[in-house]
Amino acid sequence: MPRGHKSKLRAREKRRQAHCENQDLGATQATVAEGESPSSACHLFGDRPQNLPAAETPSIPEALQGAPSTSNTTVPVSCTSSTEGASSQDEKSLYFSSVAEAWKKDPLNRKVVLLVNFLLQKYQNKEPITKGDMIKFVITKDKCHFNEILKRAAEHMELAFGVDLKEVDPIRHSYALFSKLDLTYDETTSDEENIPKTGLLMVALSVIFMNGNRAPEEAIWEVLNVMGVYPDTEHFLYGDPRKVITKDLVQLKYLECQQVPNSDPPRYEFLWGPRAHAETSKMKVLKFLANMYDTVPTAFPSCYEEALRDEEERDQARAAARAHSAAMARARSRTTSGSFSHAK
Amino acid sequence: MQGSARRMGVMTDVHRRFLQLLMTHGVLEERDVKRMQKHCYKVHDRNATVDKLEDFINNINSVLESLYIEIKRGVTEDDGRPIYALVNLATTSVSKMATDFAENELDLFRKALELIIDSESGFASSTNILNLVDQLKGKKMKKKEAEQVLQKFVQNKWLIEKEGEFTLHGRAILEMEQYIRETYPDAVKICNICHSLLIQGQSCETCGIRMHLPCVAKYFRLNAEPRCPHCNDYWPHEIPEVFDPEKEREPGISKSNRKSLRSRRH
Repeated sequence: MPRGHKSKLRAREKRRQAHCENQDLGATQATVAEGESPSSACHLFGDRPQNLPAAETPSIPEALQGAPSTSNTTVPVSCTSSTEGASSQDEKSLYFSSVAEAWKKDPLNRKVVLLVNFLLQKYQNKEPITKGDMIKFVITKDKCHFNEILKRAAEHMELAFGVDLKEVDPIRHSYALFSKLDLTYDETTSDEENIPKTGLLMVALSVIFMNGNRAPEEAIWEVLNVMGVYPDTEHFLYGDPRKVITKDLVQLKYLECQQVPNSDPPRYEFLWGPRAHAETSKMKVLKFLANMYDTVPTAFPSCYEEALRDEEERDQARAAARAHSAAMARARSRTTSGSFSHAK
Repeated sequence: MQGSARRMGVMTDVHRRFLQLLMTHGVLEERDVKRMQKHCYKVHDRNATVDKLEDFINNINSVLESLYIEIKRGVTEDDGRPIYALVNLATTSVSKMATDFAENELDLFRKALELIIDSESGFASSTNILNLVDQLKGKKMKKKEAEQVLQKFVQNKWLIEKEGEFTLHGRAILEMEQYIRETYPDAVKICNICHSLLIQGQSCETCGIRMHLPCVAKYFRLNAEPRCPHCNDYWPHEIPEVFDPEKEREPGISKSNRKSLRSRRH
């Protein structure tokens, strides 16, 4: 539905009243809704008046045919109350304030905002991200600035959310988001109430490991049932646990689903996926398991031995990788110095 | 208003972990949010005093502001439980729903939303929603498929289902209130007490003003003779309990109250 005339007038009035230097941002905001009425963002850097339909923010899914609208006035948590903790002249605090200044001046920033929101959505859904999707849904006509926009969005993800954006498939240009904060493994203290969704993954990985590195779905549910997680019941934390395990975690390559060889009718089992191998280790998973049962890793002797061997192999692989990259670096420096001497 | 910008807060790993966990859950009740906050301090900054939740969240919001993201606090319409969600204000074609759902699914949601907003009770029956499948944009959808899509909306916390009827989840109200108010300015209902969007609530049978159940609870607390704030007529409905975070959670309204919601005439 198109915006009413009155709200357009209100919007224009507010923009004129704004006395922060945000013409650039205001102009770019004009095109956020791709041709719909412009909205102003000047309230962002001034004080947001409480309990007042503040100046517009670009909002509302185009797909739902929205229009830029006012911010929510019912939130009792006001954004205008002074924040503590800003007293330190931290490097980070300076960074954030200077970012705020830079925002107003650069039109690409609105795409950065949209991309950050897009990435967050993908992160929450644990979905893979492709360059194609990013361009199609977010970047659109700013395709030539893709790298710059992506870089800035990645910076924001890292600084504000502690999430890293990494390219996992350079050929197909697919990316994934990884928490820098090790959420996957350590939110398991015994008095802990909140186990994030990734807790499900850890349980699945430990069951698989304990079962000899492959486990039928039923084995995983046996353990989850004890935790009060059932396959066909919506769970307050995990949502649809069956979907998370059989679909989402497989798609994200944390788990692999294989048919049991020579099984008729076909039966399926779960194994660790390549991403699980990359992001965690048998020892870490064993520690998680031990913690869950309130014991120590050595209480599972055969698993413990296997985990130790796995640690050794990983150490060796890491050492080999370091040696290799050092050798490459030496080789590179030799060739450059060689070419310089030739140039002389 | 001062011209100088509010001091921007500082993000530490405590805040980042909090954000990540909040994102993982989508929407959380205040009780769980407080525990989660304490947990984040425990992990990263054991010796620090835990900030008051409101200040903690304000701090984060001041940093997220330039990204058009905010942690919003709302209250569930049925029993007044405070909830929090990370809300995306800069949604155009990149909304949470647009990337998760196909065109016909989004249209189904839109249709359900319209029915919900137009209804007296704030609920739309499954049958009425499904009868609209022929009018959907995009690929043709069968009723069976539409039933699955509705379940998907419930799982993703956009809709709530009760006894075969659908209403908006608190999260959807948090995220979409402004969109709804702008898109359906005539049909939308507003609470007489808090002036925000009202989907479920009680109404005065004389003058028609409406109130959220938690708003009713607070307004008429300890009042033996509740009267309509607008026309002073007796308030005919059962007054729910004010939500008490200390008590064990129970549904805030009784069955008889729910009936009076539905049979109310405008």
